[in-house]
Amino acid sequence: MRGKYAKFVMLSPAILVLLATTTYPLIYALIISFRNWKLTKSPEPKEFVGLDNYTQAFDDSGFTNSLQVTFLFTVLSVSLSLGIGLAIALLVQKKSLVNTILKTLLIFPFAVSPTLKGFSWRFMLNADYGLYNKIAKTVFPPAKDIIWLNDTFWAMFGLAMSETWGWAPLIALMFVGALGSISPEITEAARLDGANNFSLFFYITLPLLRPVILIALLLKTIFSLKMFDQVVTMTGGGPGRSTQTFNFFIYQIGFRNLDMGYASALAIMLVIFLSILAYLYVKLLLGKGASA
Amino acid sequence: MSYAAKSLEKVQTNVKVSGFKGKDWLSGLGYWVGVFLTLAFILIPMLWIGLTSLKTYRQAFTLDIFFEPTLDNFKIIFDEPYSFGPKLVNSLIVGIVTILIAIPLAMMAAYAFSRFRFWGSNLLMVWVLTTQFIPPVVIIIPFFNLFRSVGLVDTLQGLIILDLAIVLPYATWMIKGYIDALPMEVEEAALVDGCNDLSILYRITFPLVMPGIIVAAVFGFMACWNEFLFALIIGSRNAQTLQVGFFGVTSGPRGLQWELMSATGMIVMVPILILSLLIRKHFVGGLTLGAVK
Repeated sequence: MRGKYAKFVMLSPAILVLLATTTYPLIYALIISFRNWKLTKSPEPKEFVGLDNYTQAFDDSGFTNSLQVTFLFTVLSVSLSLGIGLAIALLVQKKSLVNTILKTLLIFPFAVSPTLKGFSWRFMLNADYGLYNKIAKTVFPPAKDIIWLNDTFWAMFGLAMSETWGWAPLIALMFVGALGSISPEITEAARLDGANNFSLFFYITLPLLRPVILIALLLKTIFSLKMFDQVVTMTGGGPGRSTQTFNFFIYQIGFRNLDMGYASALAIMLVIFLSILAYLYVKLLLGKGASA
Repeated sequence: MSYAAKSLEKVQTNVKVSGFKGKDWLSGLGYWVGVFLTLAFILIPMLWIGLTSLKTYRQAFTLDIFFEPTLDNFKIIFDEPYSFGPKLVNSLIVGIVTILIAIPLAMMAAYAFSRFRFWGSNLLMVWVLTTQFIPPVVIIIPFFNLFRSVGLVDTLQGLIILDLAIVLPYATWMIKGYIDALPMEVEEAALVDGCNDLSILYRITFPLVMPGIIVAAVFGFMACWNEFLFALIIGSRNAQTLQVGFFGVTSGPRGLQWELMSATGMIVMVPILILSLLIRKHFVGGLTLGAVK
């Protein structure tokens, strides 16, 4: 490819499609976010209203509620995913036939569509005939009166678990890769110096896993902030509005209330939250590429 | 050192590190309990969907594991009024057409990004990478209104355009990683041997990075197949995909019919599980864009 313009010929189709499908809507949404546009009243955007759509959010209890829900969901699902992921990784890190089979099975849950995750967990958590309902109430009898998805806390917890089911195995695989690259000499040396399992884990394994933990943390957080699918198919945002995530709230404003101006303003806020995380993630990603 | 001696040494290190080092049976037991719990954690939801899809309406409300299995549910969901056939076809068309458009574009762009440095190339590359962090809800608001005015609401074309926004940045970045890993010398050698520029691309470079292209295509297809938000908003009637098709069986006259939901779930889940097995070695590296190999 020595032709002077060849590279631009090769780049331009992809760039044009990306401009049209990602940058155009972003700019359009930004403009709409400053305008009054309720689809119920007008098919076209109306007058500019400055920052009204943004300030409106802070008087809207639905908005503050959705931020709290998203925060709680993110904290729960990120810590569950990373915790369970780490436990599974430590379990299957050694090379053996059983572990190879387990590692193959670990890719499955993430591939299951989020819609189905939501439906199937809703089914299994049904307080009359759900499988997980039965298991939980057999193992822990005092829980017998809990109707999982009608309970503010348990609905949130169930939602986070349905997400953790997909993510923990994936994060486990990320950790297994990193654990494999820890040189045996290091652990051997630490053992010779008298380190026990606990100190080995806290002073050797965890610090060496730090970069991967950071990447998993960022990636999982980015996805948690966009949580939508299972909210629709599992809890419908309920009970009350206790599982209405931010993304679900934007959807409701935009496509149930048909208030495009307000929905755009909310969407732009989501972009801002995500940009901060994406910036850190991209920095990590590129930093790693440069040092390799 | 001979190869045999080397591998012997390797085996010895492995044994030294991975053996239980004469620890008591307790840690062995702990390991197997862990294996059991992990298996249960991963498999129960999938197995339960599989079992329920073979149950009758009444059996679906029981926890029976032994029952007379029936394939009726799969017949029912393809019959009227659920008609899953067209929805399955829609899902396939959207997934396949999206990757047929996205992958060639991604291949060309990835090659240019990988092999050329020009003014602004780094910035452009980072821009491509960041576009995939734009949340789908931002993309759908403008496009929903645009599609309303040009008549693309409830069409497969509309869905394909939207899915491109998800697949293209990701595929470009991913294929670029594979081309980066291919030494430039391979192409230079072909040039010396008299290949022209274009034939180097399709005879040397692209065949050599084919595994990466396949992985990108599989991930792209999976993303389209599992996509829900766009499908929910755009595909209301004629352009329903499988993910939206769930609502057909969950809002029928008998309410949510779990056995039909499960049968739908099997159709949604099984092809993707098979595809993910095909690319299992690349699964983690692919999803994290090479941040974790």
